[in-house]
Amino acid sequence: MLNSPIPAILAGALAALAFCSSVAAAEPKLLEPERAFALSVQPIDEKSVEVRFVIASGYYLYREKMKFAVEPAVLASTPPLPPGAPKDDPFFGTVETYRDQFAVRLPLAGAGPGLKVTVKAESQGCADAGVCYPPQVQSVTVVLPAAGGRPGAPVAATPAKKSWFN
Amino acid sequence: MARPFTTRRILAWAAMAVAGVTALGAGLYFGGFADRGNVTDLRGKEAGALFGVALPDAKGREQSIGQWKGKVLVVNFWATWCVPCREEMPEFVKAQQEFGPRGLQFVGIAIDEVAKVEAFAAELGLNYPVLIGGYGAIELSRTFGNRLGALPFTIIVDRAGRISHTQLGPIKDAQLKTIVSQLL
Repeated sequence: MLNSPIPAILAGALAALAFCSSVAAAEPKLLEPERAFALSVQPIDEKSVEVRFVIASGYYLYREKMKFAVEPAVLASTPPLPPGAPKDDPFFGTVETYRDQFAVRLPLAGAGPGLKVTVKAESQGCADAGVCYPPQVQSVTVVLPAAGGRPGAPVAATPAKKSWFN
Repeated sequence: MARPFTTRRILAWAAMAVAGVTALGAGLYFGGFADRGNVTDLRGKEAGALFGVALPDAKGREQSIGQWKGKVLVVNFWATWCVPCREEMPEFVKAQQEFGPRGLQFVGIAIDEVAKVEAFAAELGLNYPVLIGGYGAIELSRTFGNRLGALPFTIIVDRAGRISHTQLGPIKDAQLKTIVSQLL
């Protein structure tokens, strides 16, 4: 099609530069904590919500560090956190971690149909790459369903990325 | 004789240019510019703001980081709740012992409770000062390029008071020795 070698050289040079700039970033690119530990809350009925954490691959949360608060209602009882995977910590002993995802029902007291409830979830986690994030508090506001109504849609704490560029 | 500029030739050039630019763009996006990585590149900048920091030690006595100006300073933000932080500290203890006489000074900033820091320090045989910071100290580390506010985060300052290296995540022993031996 073309006799000149220039376009091929140009394309090759640009491709090589692209390749070099991607391997030059020797350290793995880490996620912002709210993306590594993505929280969503679903209003289930007039006295409970379900909290779900979707944890990015290569990251984990500590079960013992999970804390929840709601307002204006209160937690009726300690939320039943599912068991985590055991991990041996040389300093603190056996701890439990969550990977992939987990959910927990928060039972509410002083709540009612149609109430706007803000759920605050505190979590602390790390990346296998070798870093730990300090405790993060994420907040989600949901509206409880009407009496006898169906669960509402889950609401994400951090909206999903839309743009190609961070 | 020059070849004619046919539409086909122009389109072929254009397609290759687009492909090349897309490849470059993809490489830069996934590879990251220096500033879009985990830390902001601050090498060569004056560490004046760091020397102005004062925090209490484990005994509650206020310590200014400025007292170590002129040393090859390794400021390491860590916590007992951060396993990778604890794992790299034995290396730091050895390096402090080996290179301390030549002017290397480690200073730990623990985002932690005093009792836990003291227990761990005793277990480790810690031979360098540890200052106690609350979560506010994480914000301090952000001003030195810790974009994610995670731990461990290490700043290495040369004798002239300029930032030589910053890193999020553990520093391997070989890497530490390479950086430090160039500065001592």
